[in-house]
Amino acid sequence: MFIARGGYTTQSSDRSPSIGYQSKVRVVDRYKVIGFISSGTYGRVYKAVGRNGQAGEFAIKKFKPDKEGEQIQYTGISQSAVREMALCSELSHVNVIRLVEIILEGKCIFMVFEYAEHDLLQIIHHHTQPTRHPIPPATVKSIMFQLLNGCQYLHSNWVLHRDLKPANIMVTSSGEVKIGDLGLARLFNKPLHSLFSGDKVVVTIWYRAPELLLGSRHYTPAIDMWAVGCIFAELLSLRPIFKGEEAKMDSKKTVPFQRNQMQKIVEIMGLPTKEKWPNLVSMPEYLQLSTLSANQHAKTGGSSLEKWYYSTINSHSPTSAPSSNASLGAEGYKLLSALLEYDPEKRLTAQTALQHPFFSTGDKVSGNCFEGMKMEYPHRRVSQDDNDIRTSSLPGTKRSGLPDDTRPTKRMKE
Amino acid sequence: MAANYWESTQRKHWQFTRQQLDELRKNLEDEDQNLVQMYPLPQVRHLSIYFNQQIGRLGKRLGVRQQAMATAQVYIRRFYSKVEIRRTNPYLVIATAVYLACKMEECPHHIRLVVSEGRALWPDFFSSDTSKLGECEFFLISEMSSQMIVHQPYRTLSALQATLSLTQEEAALSWSIINDHYMTDLPLLFAPHIIAIMAILLALVLRPTATGIQSASSSASTIASAAQGALSSAGQLKAGGAESKVGGERSEVQRLSNWLAESNIDIEAIVDCTQEIISFYEFQEQYNEKLTREQINRFVKARGLDK
Repeated sequence: MFIARGGYTTQSSDRSPSIGYQSKVRVVDRYKVIGFISSGTYGRVYKAVGRNGQAGEFAIKKFKPDKEGEQIQYTGISQSAVREMALCSELSHVNVIRLVEIILEGKCIFMVFEYAEHDLLQIIHHHTQPTRHPIPPATVKSIMFQLLNGCQYLHSNWVLHRDLKPANIMVTSSGEVKIGDLGLARLFNKPLHSLFSGDKVVVTIWYRAPELLLGSRHYTPAIDMWAVGCIFAELLSLRPIFKGEEAKMDSKKTVPFQRNQMQKIVEIMGLPTKEKWPNLVSMPEYLQLSTLSANQHAKTGGSSLEKWYYSTINSHSPTSAPSSNASLGAEGYKLLSALLEYDPEKRLTAQTALQHPFFSTGDKVSGNCFEGMKMEYPHRRVSQDDNDIRTSSLPGTKRSGLPDDTRPTKRMKE
Repeated sequence: MAANYWESTQRKHWQFTRQQLDELRKNLEDEDQNLVQMYPLPQVRHLSIYFNQQIGRLGKRLGVRQQAMATAQVYIRRFYSKVEIRRTNPYLVIATAVYLACKMEECPHHIRLVVSEGRALWPDFFSSDTSKLGECEFFLISEMSSQMIVHQPYRTLSALQATLSLTQEEAALSWSIINDHYMTDLPLLFAPHIIAIMAILLALVLRPTATGIQSASSSASTIASAAQGALSSAGQLKAGGAESKVGGERSEVQRLSNWLAESNIDIEAIVDCTQEIISFYEFQEQYNEKLTREQINRFVKARGLDK
């Protein structure tokens, strides 16, 4: 893979040769920006095409440098950017978004990725318009298989994604699923510090695993697998299965117990029990569990996930089309419940999930999740009002209608 | 990839033959002939010893763990395989490599702290302007093509400690031999597991009861021949030869050669690697810190690279 070229140049001035870093490659010489995709706390993402005959389209993620006054200064690259750059440079898998190159230019970092026309958030959203209609079962199956395949690759390489959610799962126009946004990803094989220290809160709350909600400091691949389970549920029901409200950090910067989120999980999954999850009692927030209001059913440790599952796959399309997701059947439930297993040690790993009968029963799983589909999903919205990747949009300059904290490709739902 | 050395950028882009490495360095010097003539420098090994010492000093002030310092040294070696040293301020490059390696090895330090410690260590050669270090970070990452994940021999050592029933002392000595190899070109020449096995072999041959690695240089040839003995016995076993007899040596060495014989590990590479580190220990005696420091400081000052 070709990555950034750069070098120091000595501007020849006799008295003091001032040394300055200058990129050997200029972004605008290599790419033509054709639109603005999204912005976030990290910076902005642009859509681009190559100027040097590079095939395909690209998404260029421009990291915002920290601003000190009016003049942009080198302030040191954030640790998360360093991680993302290093990890993306190593990773190579069909179900993980491909890094094309990194250009370090003008105090900014430009990460050039292959472009993906869709993402799961957008696809799920499309199925709620104008009325709810289910994502075809073959598509769900293919998406899940590819997603798990990407996770298996990451986990076998000791990479935790830590922020899996529909908005971060890209889908190309040829139906290939690509795990994207490794901005929070970390290696878990040799943490010099506990993986917990440093970044206190990880994973969008709706996809956050129960052990994290209960204060666990041990990050394991099981955390990603819970999120995969939540995504599976969302592909079926078209809304987040555990849509809690985030408790904000208080002024002392202590991490609050996410009561509402845990409550949402308990409402469907029942209360976790130490019989089924032996380590439960050693969770820092264990005592909080007794304060949750469980319904009669949940109090006894009963889960209503099965009920949730069957009513979901049978409920769609009140009008003409038959409720197609019913074909996902009992194996779909088994996979879902094994992913949404409370005990992280018993939760399905990506490796075992790929062997699940869900994928071997019924139609063969396609590597193209759109196979056999007649319709085409709407393309990613690309705005034209910011095409200047270099100067016009000085970082920190807010622009109308685009709050600066939106994550890439995230749009308002419902 | 991250866990798999064979798929890593380290193996694909940062493992060279000696010839390739010599060529890279020669090309750099050829491009800047005037500079090279104007500012003579000691051999790469001696520069590396100097860098190792300076990293150690900075690391100590910052409380940096050995693994991050090891990664920093690999960064520096990669960087100077692509950039002529006389075009840079080595003190800035050292501090930047430590700063970056700490982020990669999950023990980050604030840029201001790194700069203030650098300034305290090298007041005449180090700017208090943090943006200089930030800029150098761009340079470093760019020359490394953002390939910042380094596979270290330490992990192989930990994994083999049980397999080969190494004692604490043997493991500790192996560990310190691994620390030493960062002063050589070995990290750019061999896979981390080869280096780890070389270190274990040497540690077993040297015996931790001896006065340590410093005694190695005096008896380099003895060690070399003992190591060779173990390796050739492994080679014979592998070739299906007679039961090996590594005469008079400890059973650990025997166990290692048996283990090697059963593995697919490249014994030739270990021989090569062993010779390199032994010759390093010999050369270490000729190292002249004062001369090395003066020669580095001279071009930094004369060229205004500290500004």
